[in-house]
Amino acid sequence: MMDLSAPALDLARAAGASFADWRLVEQRVRTLGVDRGAVKAVDDDEPVGYAVRVLIDGAWGFASGTRLDRDGVAATARAAIDTARASAKVPKTPPARMADVSPAVETLVGPCAEDPFAMTAGEQAAELLDASRRMMDVDGVSRATAWVTFTRLRRLIANTDGSRLDLTNTFAEPWITCTAVVDGDAQSIRNQGGGRQAGYEWLRQVDPVGSAAGWASAAVERARADEVEPGTYDLVLDPMHLSLTMHESVGHPTELDRILGWEANFAGTSFIRPEDVGALRYGSEHVSFSVDNRLEGGLGSWFFDDDGVRMTAFPVIEEGRLVGLSATRETAPLIGLTASNGCCRAASFDRFPINRIPNLYMEPGPEHVTPDDLIGGVERGIYIAGQGSFSIDQQRRNFQFGGNQFWLIEHGAITRPLKKVTYQAMTTDFWGACDGVAGPAHWASHGTPNCGKGEPSQRMRMTHGASHARFRGITIGDGSQ
Amino acid sequence: MTDSHAATSDVRRVRPRDPDSVHQLLQDALDASKADEAQAAWSWESGTATRFGDNAITQNMGGEQETVTVEVAFGSRKGSASTNRMDAAALAEIVARAEAVARAAPEDAEHVPLPGPQAYGVRPQRWFDATADLSPQAIAEDVAHVVAGARDAGLIASGLFDVRARAAARLNSRGLRAWDAATRVDYSTTLRGANGSGKAAATQSDRRRIDPVALSHEAVTNAGLAQNPEPVEPGEWTVIFEPLAVRGLLGMMAWTMSARDAEEGSSAWTDTLGRKMFAEGVDLRLRVDDDVLPAPTFGADGIAVEPTTWVQNGVVQHLYHDRFWASEKDVRPDAARGPLFMAGDEDQELSDLIAGCERGLLVKNLWYIRFVDPRTLTLTGMTRDGVFLVENGRITRPVQNLRWNESPMVFLANLEARSRAVRVGGWSDMKLPAVRSRGFTFSSVTESI
Repeated sequence: MMDLSAPALDLARAAGASFADWRLVEQRVRTLGVDRGAVKAVDDDEPVGYAVRVLIDGAWGFASGTRLDRDGVAATARAAIDTARASAKVPKTPPARMADVSPAVETLVGPCAEDPFAMTAGEQAAELLDASRRMMDVDGVSRATAWVTFTRLRRLIANTDGSRLDLTNTFAEPWITCTAVVDGDAQSIRNQGGGRQAGYEWLRQVDPVGSAAGWASAAVERARADEVEPGTYDLVLDPMHLSLTMHESVGHPTELDRILGWEANFAGTSFIRPEDVGALRYGSEHVSFSVDNRLEGGLGSWFFDDDGVRMTAFPVIEEGRLVGLSATRETAPLIGLTASNGCCRAASFDRFPINRIPNLYMEPGPEHVTPDDLIGGVERGIYIAGQGSFSIDQQRRNFQFGGNQFWLIEHGAITRPLKKVTYQAMTTDFWGACDGVAGPAHWASHGTPNCGKGEPSQRMRMTHGASHARFRGITIGDGSQ
Repeated sequence: MTDSHAATSDVRRVRPRDPDSVHQLLQDALDASKADEAQAAWSWESGTATRFGDNAITQNMGGEQETVTVEVAFGSRKGSASTNRMDAAALAEIVARAEAVARAAPEDAEHVPLPGPQAYGVRPQRWFDATADLSPQAIAEDVAHVVAGARDAGLIASGLFDVRARAAARLNSRGLRAWDAATRVDYSTTLRGANGSGKAAATQSDRRRIDPVALSHEAVTNAGLAQNPEPVEPGEWTVIFEPLAVRGLLGMMAWTMSARDAEEGSSAWTDTLGRKMFAEGVDLRLRVDDDVLPAPTFGADGIAVEPTTWVQNGVVQHLYHDRFWASEKDVRPDAARGPLFMAGDEDQELSDLIAGCERGLLVKNLWYIRFVDPRTLTLTGMTRDGVFLVENGRITRPVQNLRWNESPMVFLANLEARSRAVRVGGWSDMKLPAVRSRGFTFSSVTESI
């Protein structure tokens, strides 16, 4: 199949392209869904297609196609060349160029211990059905949904640098919710942990059937809980919850394309300026964030990004100070960097690769610190577990988060469950209010399967992680003000 | 199919395959199936998406694709498979794969037999050849107008000029035969100044309805007015939402209009049928007769999209029934929730809504809207692209963006006035007026622009 790249790269070179690539994306996607004890989806899809990207006179052209023969590829390459010439009507200053990369020729396959496609979809759907019915059997539960997507993503990338990459990754991404209606109020919870780069073994670990009763009782407990009294509280946040907070308030603002204004029409820009790197106080000395796009099981661990850059690890925030950004081969030189750090990915064959959040995680605190230590140091606070509602402004300052479950902390101990908890803060104030992080033994990760960005929209996956952390003096609301 | 790639430069002819050949392709797939029931769906899309930022085209994407999906049922055991390869072997393979999936699938406790033949009425034109044929060069010329306007005003332009041609067909073993084709143009631009930004957007089926020069002027004006905003105190405000902002609230609300959720007690629509929930004059409908926002022919499983009144004069008339819930309740299933139309007041312009406001906030757009509480339908989000203080019937100054926590149920209950309705783009296009409403809850401010 890699041979199909030749007409595209030959035509691009003949047209004077300074860079071109051909990227074929072949997927197997199995989607299973049950709702209220009934089957809603048992789908088995095999989308395949390719794109040609050309950089001519500093202007980009891109076209995608599904005709898998040399004539089809050539026609798509000609369309990409036409598009690049149209782009030149409104040219970039300076003209776009790609940071240099050493060519690589590799075939790599990611982790998948138990092939989900070797099992029948029916067998997998039956497990979800059982889980849904077990949740529906609990008094107070009105709705239980269980959706799982298994994806095998194979990318073939050939570019004018001379790289030839054949890369395969498998993802298992469950999404399970349970809604309870008690005394006229409705509250929902969902499974935590998200997706994993893995096979069916991740579903065995999530254990929908074995976990169903626990999810159902958590939903009922949340519906029965007291409403929070708005005010100022200390917060202790669990790793699953922090994975979303960091995604929105650290992951997105440190994307270099946003900082350069390229996403201003939709996803937004960033409060960070290029000159803030090395200088901006982002949080307290307890706050350090790192990227590792080689993280075992990470949804963003793709070996090479779609620019053909080998994925790597790098720091973003060190002891509260901003030290790094995520970048691509095109954005990196624009702020004086000599190389990309491999954060350019496309959601599918028909999408242009863009700057995406990598696997980003919060470094754990000292070894001896436990979540109980953090809770023990709170006079009046709230412990939030898991992810819920989330919203942040387009430059990533003002945010509001909910959660999956909430408990009141009084005099150093958890006392009772709460509901309708939201907290609001400004990004650097919030991370500046962090005064403790639990140790590495408490570190856990969450795979985010549905990060939205770009126009037309691109859904991307990456993994975040943290140990529990404590924040002082945060504004708590109940959603009514 | 299309010969869009065969042509070069400014001359293109983008067309889907003809309906008869598509239906024959789908019939061949159905004929190959041994299942009790089968349906086959085909979709095609060709488009150009031109993105710009920092006053230059940053990405320019063209492409097309076709997909065929086959869904089969043995009794109530169902399975589906899809491919975007159109050769006979690929189609035979997905029929076999869908059947293998279905045979091993658990029984569906909510299985409903496929719908039979539908009567698709005559609809306003949704396909425009000249729009489908727009070249990347022609779109780049439109971008050039906007970027030149921004440069002249000392602003930085970003945006998306997206042109799509789509077609879809469906055939099932009970004789349903559906076809639809449409073009859509979605132009939006955001202009940033040193301390403020403004937006202009237009969505139409026919490119000739959009004037890029006027779009550029509107964006320049909006961005100019939005510079140097100052904070106001959060709290309850009378607001004037422009149609884009109204869309933000109603888009989320439309998702929740499920009759089943309402009956189960988990939504804000519980116990609302027949009750006056909203202000006088609030009408929410699915219409199929509008020239500016023409409705699709068919929706879920090929069911004909029919006119539907959700809310009439503030009284809830009907909620969305999927095919299973409709069969349980013995009512007609709803093919879709939209396109959603909110009745406007043809005698009122946005300027009239502002003139009638003693003190309030004019909100251009909303951003990052999420659910907070399902029973009250409380949402949270931010304002974006310009907020302005209105005093004694006129705009007095720009103000900083605000976070809000509010329910569209409250927003529509407290409605005071509406302008005439216009088409607004989004994941599902709507036709909406600007709305003035009292008592909208803002929570905090941000200096983000």
